[in-house]
Amino acid sequence: MWLLAGGAATVWCSTAGGDSARGERVFQRCFACHSVVAGEDKLPGPNLRGVIGRRAGTLPGFRFSPALIEAGTGGLVWTRATLDAYLADPERFLPGTEMGMPGLRDAVDRRDVIDYLEKSGPTSRRTP
Amino acid sequence: MRRLQLALLVTLLALPSAASAEVTVQAYALPPGGGPHDVAVGADGIVWYTAQRTGQLGRLDPASGKVDLIPLGPAAAPHGVIIGPDGAPWVTEGGTNSIVRVDPRTREVKRWPLPEARGYVNLNTATFDKRGRIWFTGQNGIYGRLDPASGAMQVWDAPRGRGAYGIATTPDGDVYYASLAGSHIARVDLDTGVATVIEPPTKGQGARRVWSDSRGRIWVSEWNSGNVSRYDPKANEWKTWKLPGDSPRTYAVYVDDKDKVWLSEWSANAMVRFDPESEKFEAFPSDRRGANVRQILGRPGEVWAPESGTDRLIVYRMK
Repeated sequence: MWLLAGGAATVWCSTAGGDSARGERVFQRCFACHSVVAGEDKLPGPNLRGVIGRRAGTLPGFRFSPALIEAGTGGLVWTRATLDAYLADPERFLPGTEMGMPGLRDAVDRRDVIDYLEKSGPTSRRTP
Repeated sequence: MRRLQLALLVTLLALPSAASAEVTVQAYALPPGGGPHDVAVGADGIVWYTAQRTGQLGRLDPASGKVDLIPLGPAAAPHGVIIGPDGAPWVTEGGTNSIVRVDPRTREVKRWPLPEARGYVNLNTATFDKRGRIWFTGQNGIYGRLDPASGAMQVWDAPRGRGAYGIATTPDGDVYYASLAGSHIARVDLDTGVATVIEPPTKGQGARRVWSDSRGRIWVSEWNSGNVSRYDPKANEWKTWKLPGDSPRTYAVYVDDKDKVWLSEWSANAMVRFDPESEKFEAFPSDRRGANVRQILGRPGEVWAPESGTDRLIVYRMK
């Protein structure tokens, strides 16, 4: 079971209403490894189209780290709130993650990039 | 400039015996939370590392275990560090999109930002050529060159877009880089800047880092395939070996002064040494879970590996 500490920043950032156009620019920090283009799935990181609602470590065809698979098995689902916490400090949120990006320290950056991700494709149906 | 003296926090740990009796292994615990990404050791034995998560450059004196941290700025997230011909650490500073030099004596931080029009390039790794110029890669799909003497900087689009990752110089002065997302290596023309793609034999292999042996042959760590491969430019020939284990993931590569090839392998959570003559692998597993070694560098008799997942630097000393 994954629970988030209810910090003010996390609560605020979990709310939609950001600037997704700006979020696309913030996404340049993720661009080397991730795509939101359907079918672009040969990159070092998983395709993030429809990541909201997806159980962690479950995109078919992508080889996830043991840490992400374990987290998904334990119930971690990517919501605005969990993505916000992960992006703020990936290694702290999920020790053992292979993602090299050190995190987005600015809460507005996180809000906007999550907005961009949310608008880039349909939300995934939650897997049981 | 803020300088932290953390000698009391540093512990020197003797790790369990390694695979080979002629290798001793020592771990240096670093200030927590830095996530050491890359490491470089100078001729004087001083070790520099990038504390990517805290935006600092670390300096370790292995003799005393003392660590100093040099802040690189509020938005800093340094990725790579190498020692330049001037003996100074040079940093590919991903957070501020800049090449950075830190004066080893005064700790002054000097910055060369990339052209603003290029946007964020996700700076990765750097290498000096034999003409005093520093070449660098940006994972968003660029490579570039800075002449520190004049300050002139040029940036080129990488062929096939995003992915430019590790970069290295051969003993003859040629520069090669690897493209992780592009699954190739490239040789850079030092005069024109043109990069020529060279295809490894394994499709979609995920060439992550490169290093040269003493004969100018390029060794490649392949993340997706779990291979290590070698390109011989003179013969235009490749040779490939699979690392041990069911599903290896080869992240970093470094060739030591004896032409032994060091690799970090994430599935086994181990450093691996490969002997090209006997074609045998020798594993040095970490004693901590999730070591996540992202780069390797050394000097004669020493190989250094930053454990980004455990906040430690590991040194392998050859007797």
